[in-house]
Amino acid sequence: MEGRPEDDSRLVARAQRGDAAAYEEIVHRYQEVAFRTAYVIAGSAADAEDAAQEAFVKAYRALDRFRAGSELRPWLLRIVANEARNRVRSSGRRHRLELRLTEGFRPGDAAPSPEALALAGDERRRLLAMVNALSEDDRLVIAARYFLQLSGEETAATLGIPEGTVKSRLSRALARLRAKVEEAARA
Amino acid sequence: MPELEDRLTALGAEIAWPPTPPRLWRGDRQRRAEGLFARPRWALAAAAVLLIVATLLAYTPTRDAIAHWLNLHTTFTRTEHPPTPSPLPSGPLGQRLDLGKQTTLAGAQQQLNWKIVVPAALGAPDEVYLKLPPDGPSGGEVTLVYGARSDIRVSGITGVSVLVTEARGRTNEQFFQKTLGPDVKIEPVTVGGHSGYWISGQPHQFAFTDADGNPYFDTLRLATNTLILDDGGTVVRVEGDMTKQQAIDIGRSLA
Repeated sequence: MEGRPEDDSRLVARAQRGDAAAYEEIVHRYQEVAFRTAYVIAGSAADAEDAAQEAFVKAYRALDRFRAGSELRPWLLRIVANEARNRVRSSGRRHRLELRLTEGFRPGDAAPSPEALALAGDERRRLLAMVNALSEDDRLVIAARYFLQLSGEETAATLGIPEGTVKSRLSRALARLRAKVEEAARA
Repeated sequence: MPELEDRLTALGAEIAWPPTPPRLWRGDRQRRAEGLFARPRWALAAAAVLLIVATLLAYTPTRDAIAHWLNLHTTFTRTEHPPTPSPLPSGPLGQRLDLGKQTTLAGAQQQLNWKIVVPAALGAPDEVYLKLPPDGPSGGEVTLVYGARSDIRVSGITGVSVLVTEARGRTNEQFFQKTLGPDVKIEPVTVGGHSGYWISGQPHQFAFTDADGNPYFDTLRLATNTLILDDGGTVVRVEGDMTKQQAIDIGRSLA
């Protein structure tokens, strides 16, 4: 086992027995996706931080209600997303999510020519701008599936909808985005 | 042109996400066991108000005295039932008292952007520990350990003569909190021009807000007699089984 990460179910079992280090490991493992998920919903880093922080406290207190054999990540993300939504609701303010691209190219990419880099960058920026301009439902489901790389179950938990609805909502969101992309290509 | 789904997946790898905050869960064992968690910023203001109200209700010195405390951004509350500490793990001192990682004075100073003060009255510390985020408060916390001194007996609680703990906080937002039992005495003192408090009588719990304004609860290690000083933005805690005058002499020699 040495050197291999411990699986979630064992970590949860340890945390349920009061092993603080196990919960620490759970947080360490999922804090990034938790924070980003909260950010996608709340639209503000400060609200996302508060929501994720509070969610980890609530999850800790609810650990004894976690059912053995369930998947931990969707369970955690559901709590995070609820907290983020509650925060938006109670604050009465809604930040419009404006996702942006990192500058430069990814490690491991072959170094492109400056012209190719500029063109590729423009294309990606345009696509992201189209995603940002979608309705909230469409944007959220696309961000969850493609940007956060959540599974169908996790997306359902995050959005608070059945998994079947995720599929239909994603399909419609992609269709609307595709139409925008094609329209832009024709212009 | 790649399929739209592929392009979106590729785009996902290039999203400029805000950096994940380092302390979504601040944990030491005791804090979690006691349910004392880092609060979101919005809760801090509410907590501070509650503490102030609790102080006004639970303790009855003059209003001037309370105002003076608050001016130091210090809030004291009294409780009839101080929390009971869980047994501390056995092992090396730093681990037993949850002081962080052992280092040297120079090593600790290199990792902090504020100046560590050392009490000349005690000389060079026997051991130095540093606790950085996420385990320690924002800005870090350094503890100077003085194992045994001929004039200050070794405390039965900490196992050493003196602990000098220093942490940085934002001057306008920082407060220290002591959860004081009914038999704990508190006296305002001035040491080398700095405001401070001498807390004695019974062991007590310790908590404060860190440089980011977040509450930071030390492990439920019960403090012994304690002198707290606000030394130019660094809050210094001198703990030990010592007299008030000994603590003041130590505080006055900080440089």
